[in-house]
Amino acid sequence: MLYALSTVLVLAAEEAEETSNVGLVLPDPYELVAGIIAFAIVFFFVWKWAFPAIDKMLEDRQRAIKGQMEDAEATKAEAHSLLDDYRKQLADAKGEAAGIINEARSAAEAMKVDIVAKAQTEAEHITTKARQDAATERDRALASARVEVANLSIDLAERVVGENLDRSVQLGLVERYLADLDRMTE
Amino acid sequence: MVDQLILASECDVANEVICAPADVKELFELPTIFHIGELAITRTILLIFLAAFIVLAILYFGLRKGSVVPSKFQAVVESLVQFVRKDVAEDIIGPDGVKYAPYLTAMFLFLLVGNLFEVTPLVNFPITSRMAIPAFLAIVTYVIFVFVGFKKNGFRYLTDIIWPKSVPIGLRWLVGVIELFSTFILRPLTLAVRLFANLVAGHLMLTLLLGSGAIFIWNFADAGAKSLVGVAWFAFGLGIYLFEIVVAVLQAYIFTLLSAVYIQSSVHPEH
Repeated sequence: MLYALSTVLVLAAEEAEETSNVGLVLPDPYELVAGIIAFAIVFFFVWKWAFPAIDKMLEDRQRAIKGQMEDAEATKAEAHSLLDDYRKQLADAKGEAAGIINEARSAAEAMKVDIVAKAQTEAEHITTKARQDAATERDRALASARVEVANLSIDLAERVVGENLDRSVQLGLVERYLADLDRMTE
Repeated sequence: MVDQLILASECDVANEVICAPADVKELFELPTIFHIGELAITRTILLIFLAAFIVLAILYFGLRKGSVVPSKFQAVVESLVQFVRKDVAEDIIGPDGVKYAPYLTAMFLFLLVGNLFEVTPLVNFPITSRMAIPAFLAIVTYVIFVFVGFKKNGFRYLTDIIWPKSVPIGLRWLVGVIELFSTFILRPLTLAVRLFANLVAGHLMLTLLLGSGAIFIWNFADAGAKSLVGVAWFAFGLGIYLFEIVVAVLQAYIFTLLSAVYIQSSVHPEH
């Protein structure tokens, strides 16, 4: 490789001796003019068209991003206020529900007390009536038993005596006796 | 293409190790394609206009629609233009850089396309390997920074260079002479020569390596075992080809960057 490169250098050196290559490092006038014109075209295009185009685009982009961010901000604020509203509503609803439950509970309590009281009254009433009925029944049974005893006593006495007794007089007698008996047992 | 034909017609594959033209000018002075009256239009001149046309086409098709949500191509063109505008013009020169951004952008894109012609198949010739464009752009940059220097700072621009107050007094005259020489003579010269020489070297290397490689391989009947040398040349040439893509982009960037730095040094000479 080095050998090859040195050959190139030697060749170049020989050529330099043979022909002058100064022209290679000096600008060629025609190329210079072409370069000036070509660069001028590029420069004016960049200056007058490309930069304004890119500036406009950047401004549009900036505006679009700004607009979107503002929109997002507004949406966010709206969402926040909605959330607050919902929270408030939820809290109200909870309070209301608690109120309803309490009311229902107290109503139920009152109803319970009422029912129990009524039941007690009813029970007392029934008991009283039963007691009265029992007393009435006993009195009636007692009265009936008294008549029966009197009749039996008279029948027995008639058989013992062997003749008919004045039933009404005898009944009065038994009655009196039983009344005395009552007085004694009381 | 043309270079390779020249090489092929002149190459003696039996006796040479590398195919080189009898005169190196043949690789850089391209043939005339047609005449307009007296004017000879060479391939180089056509390529210069082609480069301008390509830049216009890229910008036009990239920015034509100006969509808020860019296509891929638009995004690439946009970032290319914004790169020169923001990262070079504004970042280096400062707020004043906006004024020079169109010049720097046009320069960067024109040089980029012109340089990349070196590695563009079927073109294979960087227009910047001819001195005309580097010299012209270096002179424009030179005129701008000297003009701006005097306009912004008046005569102090010159006195600050010759008698730099930030340097110890004993050294001022020496630094002054160096600065004067460097600013007004070396700057434009090095700016132009750096670009020109890089592209000349690249074009020379690619032509000789790829050309020789192809010719030796193609003429293996005459060259015999030396065809293997051709394979080596070609492989080496491909490596250089990749390297030259980087060089083409880098040199366009460096030229633009240095132009911006020179303009900046005139806008704010104290730095």
